[in-house]
Amino acid sequence: MMSDLDPSEQTEAYLNLLNKHERKLSVYVHTLVRDLADAEDIMQACRLTMWKRFSSFEAGSSFPAWGKKIALNQILNYRRSVKRKPLHTADPEFIESVAKEIDRQSDELLERSEALKECLRKLPDQQRQTIVLRYYDGCEIEEIARTTGRTGGAVYRLLSRIRRSLNECITSRLRLSA
Amino acid sequence: MTIEEQIDLSLDNRLTATEQAALEAALLSDPESMTLYVQRRWLHAELLCDRSLLSTPEEDSPLRETKKAKGSLLALAAAATLSLFSLTSFFLKDLNENHPVATLIEAENCRWEGSDLPTAEGASLGTGTLSLAEGMATIQFESGATVTLEAPTVLEVASSMRCRLIEGSVVAEVPESAHGFTIDTEKMEVIDLGTRFGVTSSTVGGSHVFVFDGEVKVRQDDQEKAKHIFSGKSLHLGAPPVTADQEIVQRPHPENALSNWIPVSTAFGKGKDAYLRRTDRSGMTGKDPLLMVKHTELAPGNERRALLTFDLARIDRSGMQDAKLTLMMESSGLGFSSLVPDSTFTVYGALSRGTHQWNESKITWENSPHLTKPSPEKALFAPLAQFTITKGSARSLIEIGSDELSRFLLSNDDELVTLLLVRETGEFDKQGLVHAFASKEHPSGPAPTLWFQPAPRP
Repeated sequence: MMSDLDPSEQTEAYLNLLNKHERKLSVYVHTLVRDLADAEDIMQACRLTMWKRFSSFEAGSSFPAWGKKIALNQILNYRRSVKRKPLHTADPEFIESVAKEIDRQSDELLERSEALKECLRKLPDQQRQTIVLRYYDGCEIEEIARTTGRTGGAVYRLLSRIRRSLNECITSRLRLSA
Repeated sequence: MTIEEQIDLSLDNRLTATEQAALEAALLSDPESMTLYVQRRWLHAELLCDRSLLSTPEEDSPLRETKKAKGSLLALAAAATLSLFSLTSFFLKDLNENHPVATLIEAENCRWEGSDLPTAEGASLGTGTLSLAEGMATIQFESGATVTLEAPTVLEVASSMRCRLIEGSVVAEVPESAHGFTIDTEKMEVIDLGTRFGVTSSTVGGSHVFVFDGEVKVRQDDQEKAKHIFSGKSLHLGAPPVTADQEIVQRPHPENALSNWIPVSTAFGKGKDAYLRRTDRSGMTGKDPLLMVKHTELAPGNERRALLTFDLARIDRSGMQDAKLTLMMESSGLGFSSLVPDSTFTVYGALSRGTHQWNESKITWENSPHLTKPSPEKALFAPLAQFTITKGSARSLIEIGSDELSRFLLSNDDELVTLLLVRETGEFDKQGLVHAFASKEHPSGPAPTLWFQPAPRP
């Protein structure tokens, strides 16, 4: 148990684990939560909750698995507390069902994340730039349209095409390494 | 709308509340779609979370605020993308085992350049780029689709079901097993629905899809709906025009062979160049960056000829001993070279001064009957030289010289000289290649140029 450690050692252990697994956890939350701001709020709450309960975390057990449980609870709690955004906030039954599917596929999803790195590398510059604007800079569609001299509709279609081609690339890499 | 399309729309929050609810209900009742949904969402989430790679060390406290200011990210983005992509690409390149997805089944008279895939006949190809400088090559994908590359072409093999045409021309033949085989170009995605089809893509000539047999679906980023194209039909996408204010940097001519020769290009003085097309739906062609030339008996409307006028006022022709013409062959992005034989061209010289009087912004096939007779009239034009461009020739500088051409240029004391360029050979199919040469408006290729060799001084 982490409670066996003194506070400064605990903090250090927590930071190390968080640092190592935070991104994975964040992908998990973003897969389950459609609204970006909600997902970030939930991640923030997760970090706090995990820190508060860290003394009950057993050294040597899986931090991501422990974190995922906490995250799923956070998401469901958040869902119950927020009634204001029906568009972005899915039904608890749906959330749980998606979470189950993520667990079922967890090995494959990790492979998919690995393959994605290589597939991103192969994107042509123009498509890469669009991904950067949308996902890294968090630009609105209208902003991307203005920067790249396209219509909003064209940006949506381009994004959808890039995602489709990334997904095909990932699928084909997985098939080949199988 | 397919469930996959609905899932994609939901990623960008483009479904209405009702549509979203309907999608969620559909996913709950269909495990296969749910699997797909989780994979697509996961990919989306991965992309979103890559932003975490942008975080700076001082933010690394467990209770840090995660919402970042957009402005500061913008500046970081360039650097971060660069390091993210170039580093991963650097490290992954050698680690990547690169499983074969295709085989190079035919490579005749090929010259390759800058390819990161093997280029020997029979080689297994993983994902990567093929750059064919000369000749024709055929690759067969594991899915069964075959793609023939016509030089000059750069093709990226992405998977057994997808490739990306960066520049050049390819013809694809797709059996039943590979329906859905996709060729990406910069502007569109061509998806096979059971067919033989050709795609060309060129930076100055636009993109072109032609369906020989069957059906393809074309998705363009700037069009709402996918287009379906059937046997015998084609789709042409115009290229961004080479704008007038673009800086024109001429590539230097190869110096070695012509070192003491004096060049005069169509860009000099009163020089001008243009091509004429029998049916000119798209308007004047006099200011195009390409001089297109084609002869065809199958689609007479596509007949094209080029006209070159040079200003030789400053050349003392009595002091010269030889003269020749150079043309820079470029890719037109129109037609397929597998559908034309090795092509022969004739250069004619104008015998009448009246022929020099023409205007780039006014000349058309219609208003130039003296230039458009099937064989140029003997009283007006003298054949001076012939040259041949073989199938699949590379973009290269073509040197044209003959005794007749030299005599014509040196014995003529008009200030202007006008040449007419005609292709003599036709095509096997209406979609045969259109040859193109850089005009004086071309952003990088050298303009048509006459070269004069001074006689040794006594």
